[in-house]
Amino acid sequence: MTSKDLVLESAADRTIRFERDALVFTDQLYAAALRYTKNPEDARDLVQDTYLKAFTSFHQFEEGTNLRAWLYRVLTTTFINTYRKDQRRPQVAQAELEDWQLAQAQSHTSDLGKSAEVEALENLPDSDIKKALQEIPEEFRMVVYLADVEGFSYKEIAEIVDIPAGTVMSRLSRGRKQLREKLADYAAELGYSVATSKKAVEAGKKAAKSTEGEVSAE
Amino acid sequence: MSYIEIQCGEVLSSVIFIIEGELEQLPQRSAIEAHIDSCLPCTAEIAHERAMHDLLQATLRRSCNENAPEDLHEAIQRQLRAQMSGTTEVVTQFSMTEISIEIDEFGNIEHREIQIEQTHIQHFIDDDGAPDQGGR
Repeated sequence: MTSKDLVLESAADRTIRFERDALVFTDQLYAAALRYTKNPEDARDLVQDTYLKAFTSFHQFEEGTNLRAWLYRVLTTTFINTYRKDQRRPQVAQAELEDWQLAQAQSHTSDLGKSAEVEALENLPDSDIKKALQEIPEEFRMVVYLADVEGFSYKEIAEIVDIPAGTVMSRLSRGRKQLREKLADYAAELGYSVATSKKAVEAGKKAAKSTEGEVSAE
Repeated sequence: MSYIEIQCGEVLSSVIFIIEGELEQLPQRSAIEAHIDSCLPCTAEIAHERAMHDLLQATLRRSCNENAPEDLHEAIQRQLRAQMSGTTEVVTQFSMTEISIEIDEFGNIEHREIQIEQTHIQHFIDDDGAPDQGGR
């Protein structure tokens, strides 16, 4: 379809095209909106606003380019401009971003630690996974969600969130690390000994004891 | 073959680039690759990071797959239909062709045509939903 065809397309035809091509992403956008807003009411409103904005500027969307990525961009921009304005969330400090590589694990983990981490993650319930994702800072949560759930490349994420590609990499790295730490803490509460922190180990022991108690009581 | 020696720490801090398949972005790429080839703990660490990454991805995808409530689908459809019926669209098209013919001293004819096209599209959301104001 050339740009001239698009111009000659009637409003009714465009609506049909929008309904056919864009509305199939409603479920996906809703799940993303839930991660962004953290509650079903706002997620609903955000998805509705997103479709309204996308529809009114749909004549600007170039057919053949990535509609899904474009919709996520509208979703993310709408969220940042509308829903976050009230909260005035502090942005991640620039200095904190620059030394991200130093903050990475720089020593090897033991084989025991590795297998414990895998086992813990395999056994955590979905509710804990979602809770952990909610608890990491918004800037990290967005890029981790877009990369690991939606499968966008870091270049696509840079466009969707409107940040430099290098920043996507650092947020992705830090976000995944924080998520894994949270999950390790939850796993420890459930009795899996993933030794990321002293607190986690203690919680693990406590959880293990209470499980023993239950078993002997039966 | 690189002659720059690097430590395990440097390899481990570049794991995100390795996992994302973007190692070529780093200037020390060949040194990192050479180090990994000869360092068993680093090889094991990267294999673990890859496995954890895949597992985390699969876990997240399984957990975050809520469907939108049925009435949201319906609300969006209604909203679109209302938008469509309440929109006036004005399309302005402008087209001009410039023709020039040049004959040089040897009698060669050069003929050029330049076409200029401009299209402008405006959307008006009608307050009362009646798109009958176009005739003014």
